Amino acid sequence: MKLSSNLDPLTETYGIPFYLQYLAHWPEYFIVAEAPGGELMGYIMGKAEGSVAREEWHGHVTALSVAPEFRRLGLAAKLMEMLEEISERKGGFFVDLFVRVSNQVAVNMYKRLGYSVYRTVIEYYSASNGEPDEDAYDMRKALSRDTEKKSIIPLPHPVRPEDIE
Amino acid sequence: MAARGHVQDPNDRRLRPIYDYLDNGNNKMAIQQADKLLKKHKDLHCAKVLKAIGLQRTGKQDEAFTLAQEVATLEPTDDNSLQALTILYREMHRPELVAKLYEAAVKKVPLSEEYHSHLFMAYARVGEYKKMQQAGMALYKIVPKNPYYFWSVMSLVMQAISAQDEKLAQTMFLPLAERMVEKMVKEEKIEAEAEVQLYFMILERLGKCVEALDVIRGPLGEKLTSELQSRENKCMMLYQRLQRWPECNALAHKLLLKNPDDWQFYPSYFDSLFHLIDQSWSPPEEGEHCPEGAVHHTVAEVVRFVEERIKGEDGKESRSLRGPYLARLELIHRLRERGCPEESMLGDPLELMVQFFGKFGDKPCCITDLKIYLHLLSPDQHVQFVNRLSEAVPLGERGEEGFAFPDDTKALQRHLCVCQLSRALGLHHALDVDGKLRLIVELKAHYRHGLKFGKNALKTELQFSDMYCLMAAHVYIDLWKETGDENMVWQGLGVLQEGLSHSASNAQFKLLLLLLYCHLGAFEPVVDLYSSLDAKHVQHDTIGFLLTRYAESLGQFAAASQSCNFSLRFFHSNQKDTSEYIIQAYKYGAFEKIPEFIALRNRLNQSLHFAQVRTERMLLDLFLEADIVLSLEESVKAMSLSAEEDDIPWDNMRDNRDLTVFTSWDPKDRELTAEHRRQSLEEESVWLRIRSLTLRLLASLAGSGHAPSQQNSEIANENGVGDKSSILSGLLSQLNQTLQTANQIAEKRIQYPFLGPPSTRLAPALSSGSCQCQAAALQLSVHLQELETVGLDESTELQTQICNAFKSLVVQLQEILNKCKGDLLDMKEGKLKTWPSLLENLIFFVETVCIVLWMASHCAKILRPLKTSLQKKKKKKKKDANTAQPVVVCGFQELTGSLQDLLTQALEYIKGQETGITALKLASLSLDEYPQDEASFMKAAMDKVQSSYLRSLQEAGDLLKKRAETIKNLKI
Repeated sequence: MKLSSNLDPLTETYGIPFYLQYLAHWPEYFIVAEAPGGELMGYIMGKAEGSVAREEWHGHVTALSVAPEFRRLGLAAKLMEMLEEISERKGGFFVDLFVRVSNQVAVNMYKRLGYSVYRTVIEYYSASNGEPDEDAYDMRKALSRDTEKKSIIPLPHPVRPEDIE
Repeated sequence: MAARGHVQDPNDRRLRPIYDYLDNGNNKMAIQQADKLLKKHKDLHCAKVLKAIGLQRTGKQDEAFTLAQEVATLEPTDDNSLQALTILYREMHRPELVAKLYEAAVKKVPLSEEYHSHLFMAYARVGEYKKMQQAGMALYKIVPKNPYYFWSVMSLVMQAISAQDEKLAQTMFLPLAERMVEKMVKEEKIEAEAEVQLYFMILERLGKCVEALDVIRGPLGEKLTSELQSRENKCMMLYQRLQRWPECNALAHKLLLKNPDDWQFYPSYFDSLFHLIDQSWSPPEEGEHCPEGAVHHTVAEVVRFVEERIKGEDGKESRSLRGPYLARLELIHRLRERGCPEESMLGDPLELMVQFFGKFGDKPCCITDLKIYLHLLSPDQHVQFVNRLSEAVPLGERGEEGFAFPDDTKALQRHLCVCQLSRALGLHHALDVDGKLRLIVELKAHYRHGLKFGKNALKTELQFSDMYCLMAAHVYIDLWKETGDENMVWQGLGVLQEGLSHSASNAQFKLLLLLLYCHLGAFEPVVDLYSSLDAKHVQHDTIGFLLTRYAESLGQFAAASQSCNFSLRFFHSNQKDTSEYIIQAYKYGAFEKIPEFIALRNRLNQSLHFAQVRTERMLLDLFLEADIVLSLEESVKAMSLSAEEDDIPWDNMRDNRDLTVFTSWDPKDRELTAEHRRQSLEEESVWLRIRSLTLRLLASLAGSGHAPSQQNSEIANENGVGDKSSILSGLLSQLNQTLQTANQIAEKRIQYPFLGPPSTRLAPALSSGSCQCQAAALQLSVHLQELETVGLDESTELQTQICNAFKSLVVQLQEILNKCKGDLLDMKEGKLKTWPSLLENLIFFVETVCIVLWMASHCAKILRPLKTSLQKKKKKKKKDANTAQPVVVCGFQELTGSLQDLLTQALEYIKGQETGITALKLASLSLDEYPQDEASFMKAAMDKVQSSYLRSLQEAGDLLKKRAETIKNLKI
């Protein structure tokens, strides 16, 4: 999964600006894991955003990927744990992420890590031709600052992409 | 255009429709609307700028620029105009003008925080560090906010980093930056984490590690909270630089206690131990060992520590972490390197690896983990090791074929791992031909059996047993290389095509298919394979070479152009993109990232592949179009190609190719080495130099016509003709020198691993004679220049010389053509065989003929006026008006005749090949010996190759036909 030649169909390769934008703004949220032989095992990137006043200040997982040969080692969980720790330190109320509703493997993994579906976002993903493609689950896990776990109470209705922040 | 003025004034309302048109890409309407508005409000400068944006976007750059400068000279201070001009200048790739704009604006409005801030960013975009430093301070004086102050400090650091003279950095820029921060520290004004980071950066670059350590461990260090383990990591780095081994050791093992799977600290832990031993360090008699706590200064202690971590894992109920187990192997490796007998305290590597396999053999990473420690086994242990592992693989009963298969995916993964390790130990390579064939049968059986575990796999998922299939293909390749039997590669292609049919997203299948097709001379199937890899962005730089190496050389010119374009688009956008994020990094105080971003930008700008696609793209354009669509002169002009300019960073070339993109389990002695990488880069550079010099010589040919192009006329008048010919001879002598180097490289016959870097076209280009012939053609321009000055009257000797050169060119071209004669594809005894080198030579012929024809056309241009003036002279004399033509004119006519013949010959050859290949009845191949499935996959691969050869022939034929047309224009 070397980013320079990531050929895993489930790992998106973004344009350089995308990575630079995150590195410039949230460098601490960009974590890579390397194997003893120097191979890149996986990486996570994220950001902190939202209004503190409205108790929406939170950590967001933008991308998480583990190279195929380093799967089933618990690496994704470790990377998520690190991102949550960073978000805790920043005083976030929760951590959230978006995932394709069809990606059952990922949805189940996030559930095991303590995430739950907060809402469904209709046609969040689009195909390469720009046509709406698939819905997303917005999954959340409350952090210690949200003592009453208010941030993760599921919304009763799905929302549209333009309604999310 | 999101950012606009905040204040609502009537102008905003008037301008809005223009903005909207521009945003919607309706540039024409934007221009019209702007014109309308300008009629009523002459002084609405912003409308002019918006019109200029419209003009710029409709390709009227010159008009746009003039209009923009009209406004710029007025030194506007309204937000709308400033921002519109900023956008325009950026689109024009003239970021330096933005700086000028805001320089003028801050002069007029000296207290504007906003304009000063824009000015700072404008300087950042062009990397004017000194001016940034001043602009930052100016901002701070207006509004004393910490970030502005530290922008200025960071700009000093950037001056240090970019300084040619390291001394200047160390004695001036960095100390000044340090003092600036110290001032803030003393005044207790340090606020943000970023400021401490920057302080640390400065101290570190100054080599003031002790001071840096004090900062990190002191109260300022407490601000470093964002990044996990930031303080610990920084301390570790400083301990190492300061060679404070006790601290290094204590911190490493403290961190490992916390997380025994964090690999980065094991090497530090072991290193520090050996340093402590070498220094005979002993702990103080009382008190703490060091500020970081207890130190492990004996091998025994370290061994115990590692063993304890392993015990911890063994006793865990949850998943064991592999770090400690690998650390034990690493420690053995390091102890052995030092010749420490204590190695035996840790146990026998064979047993330990068997144990590791027992614990982690069902994980796909097991091979990667163990591969780096296989050297701990002695060669006579290899077979024993594999046998021991095999015993630990639970397989079912043996079936009819004699193979036992795994019952679940975990067992499959273990079995696969044993195969991978056997290969990595060289056991596959040691087999004879029959042994290898048997191995293939076994691998294929396991592959097909394993498919049952992935019946419900999604299209994006791989099959559990894919790697068996890939390995079978690797063994086929071994056999092909060993025996030369092409049937092996057909079978390899067959098994990979089969694999791909079950696992449509397997990138390794696609990559290896792609490579094999290229080796067989077939580029057509590669186009789809590569596009299905969905390579994008930076991958154009890292694996784009797979396309560009073969497309052109195999005669698929359209695909070659496209391949270059993919890459070029990426490189061009990179240049713009990076500066925006450098600015963002300033804004958010990610100071550590700024030098990294700049390094990344340089790395891409200096990429070997970038230089190659730039050069090849232009050559391709010329081959395909010059003198066909446009004249050579016009083509050269359209590309703004110049003979004088060399924009390739020869001394700083970066090889960004990912040469390990192919999965390989080959043993160490067959792996890609650093020496291979060096040689490959050298070879690529030399080939690139030949191509780039050829291109520049063609530019000089196009530029040396009668009327010097207007752009260059000033230079030409100033420096005279002499300068031009000196450029020409300079380039020619460089080309000859490079050809010499090229010959030396070709003689070495360097062989890279099959899955490593491809060889360049250099060796075949030399052996086909095309390089030499091209150089000879280009060389002619010197003589022609001479002839142009002396005229036809008294230059018999020179003319004879030129005629001999003509003849020699024809002979050389004929030789190249002879080297491609023969059947590209043939069927003997029911077997299909490819002759890709013939195809390659045909393409060398095509390229060389283009160059010779351009030279001929250039020659005609020089001869025509000379001939006319000679005839005029002769008419005056009247007497000998009917005497023979000048020697060179006869020679030239002979040349064009021979070129015509050569082209006819080549076209006939191509036609013959097309007929022959079309007539090949692949159906009649005897593939009966193979099972039907396999036969059909092999047949499909053969069809693809056949079709690809036909396409290459067609493209080459089409181009030669067009070239043949141009011969008519060579009459004089």
